Amino acid sequence: MNDLANTTPDTIPPEAKLVLDRIDQDRRRFKVNLVIAFAVLLVGLFAAMVIIGLDFKFMFNWLGFIMTGIGYTLLVSFLAIALACILAVIGALGRLSSNPIANSLATGYVSLIRGTPLLVQVYMWYLALPQVGMALEEMGIQGVQRLFTLPAIPAGVLALGVCYGAYMTETVRAGIQSIKIGQTEAAKALGMTPRQTLRRVIFPQALRVIIPPVSNEFIAMIKDSSLVSLMGVWELSYRAIKIGRRYFQSLEMLVMVAMIYWVMCIILQYIQERIENHMARGDRRVS
Amino acid sequence: MPENKMMKDKQPMIRIDNLHKVFGRDLHVLRGIDLEVKSGEVVVILGPSGSGKSTLLRCINFLEEPTAGSIEVDGVAISAGERGKERDAHILQIRKKAGMCFQSFNLFPHMTAIENIIEGPVTVLGRSRKESIPYAEELLEWVGLTDKRDEHPSRLSGGQQQRVAIARSLAMKPKVMLFDEPTSALDPELVGEVVDVMERLADEGMTIIAVTHEMHFAGDVADRVFIMDDGNWIEEGPPEEIFTNPKHSRSRQFLAHILK
Repeated sequence: MNDLANTTPDTIPPEAKLVLDRIDQDRRRFKVNLVIAFAVLLVGLFAAMVIIGLDFKFMFNWLGFIMTGIGYTLLVSFLAIALACILAVIGALGRLSSNPIANSLATGYVSLIRGTPLLVQVYMWYLALPQVGMALEEMGIQGVQRLFTLPAIPAGVLALGVCYGAYMTETVRAGIQSIKIGQTEAAKALGMTPRQTLRRVIFPQALRVIIPPVSNEFIAMIKDSSLVSLMGVWELSYRAIKIGRRYFQSLEMLVMVAMIYWVMCIILQYIQERIENHMARGDRRVS
Repeated sequence: MPENKMMKDKQPMIRIDNLHKVFGRDLHVLRGIDLEVKSGEVVVILGPSGSGKSTLLRCINFLEEPTAGSIEVDGVAISAGERGKERDAHILQIRKKAGMCFQSFNLFPHMTAIENIIEGPVTVLGRSRKESIPYAEELLEWVGLTDKRDEHPSRLSGGQQQRVAIARSLAMKPKVMLFDEPTSALDPELVGEVVDVMERLADEGMTIIAVTHEMHFAGDVADRVFIMDDGNWIEEGPPEEIFTNPKHSRSRQFLAHILK
């Protein structure tokens, strides 16, 4: 081995260098072309708007008013995703539990919520729950009706959080189950309790698997948060629709609000990529 | 009290009594195994694949639930069929006393080498990270991987990963080490470094039960060799006797096959 290494010094032949250069060139050209393609698409989109004759001045005038709705959109989305994450972890543990009560509760929750439209659920929390409160009050439980009569934003947060929690339960469950059995065995062999095994070994690894689908859910939720407009909350899309109708310029308003959602989701996607790169540290074979 | 101590010294480190393991309803893998291992003894278990060697090892620290019989590790005894909180606590006690190395290493991929090693002391024994690190670094040096201290497992070779895994087990200061085919997943040129660590461990007086086909380890290091077939011992004795003069025809067949 040593003799061989000494007699043949490590020189990459020039024709091989040419091949390597060409691979580099191709890679760079792809990147440049990709940027150009995106730019052309965007310009095309803008040109289409001009051709249709969008009233940009009108859009600009109302931009500020519409943008104030972002606050509600983000508030509802963040609160709902936080609730959904908590429910998803509890739900996933329930789905994997050998306790029949916990298991059936979690399974029932997922099945019921995934099996009914979000629209119906939103109305259920907002319009139907007070009626339940009234019935209970008539049965003699004091003060339930007031407790069950939710203002629009809490009702929206509950509806979205409970609904997305059900979908994410399955995501978290799949994430936990994707961790190889050897990891659990190694933790057990060290003397860890099931709880320690989950906290120290399974969750940190499952998190890495779960982040992309959860970000996906979050992006979907940003848009579904427009459902709270059904309850009269002046969030983004509600404002756009109202103004568009009033001035008979729905196209402008809808295009604008669509762009705002799009930009928000692009930002979220960027954050997701950053988190994923951060989480992948230990995973990389070559860094 | 002194008599008690005397009694304890005379007790074997591991005592397995009439152990049965049935998978499902009728896959009878272990069929009444008895085994006593004294403190400081090195025992190697051989046998054809599927004979139940790994299952036996995994029953000792209850990664597999024994179906019948009893297991005692360093004075902590559990009988199959026991239930309840006390038994769960006994299992944790046994797992703290018995370290295990797996064929597939099973290091925690989200932790660096040193973090893997202190995980047991910190999480299971409740020590602080700070007070656990010096001994962990000592162990890392002992397995010859000081320079890999802050690498994640994915950046280590198989042999290096297995050595970190051994250090991770040793960080719990176990009384017994269980090796479940520790070199079977390794490239041939990496086997030596792991066997070397196992030998040094034996030299330092660790009680070892190893399932391995490393004949060199079995022949030179083991005090006793057991051969298992179909969930029963068919041969037991010092390695020189087993390898030169096996009694059972099945063991002769098996040895001829692996010594070839």
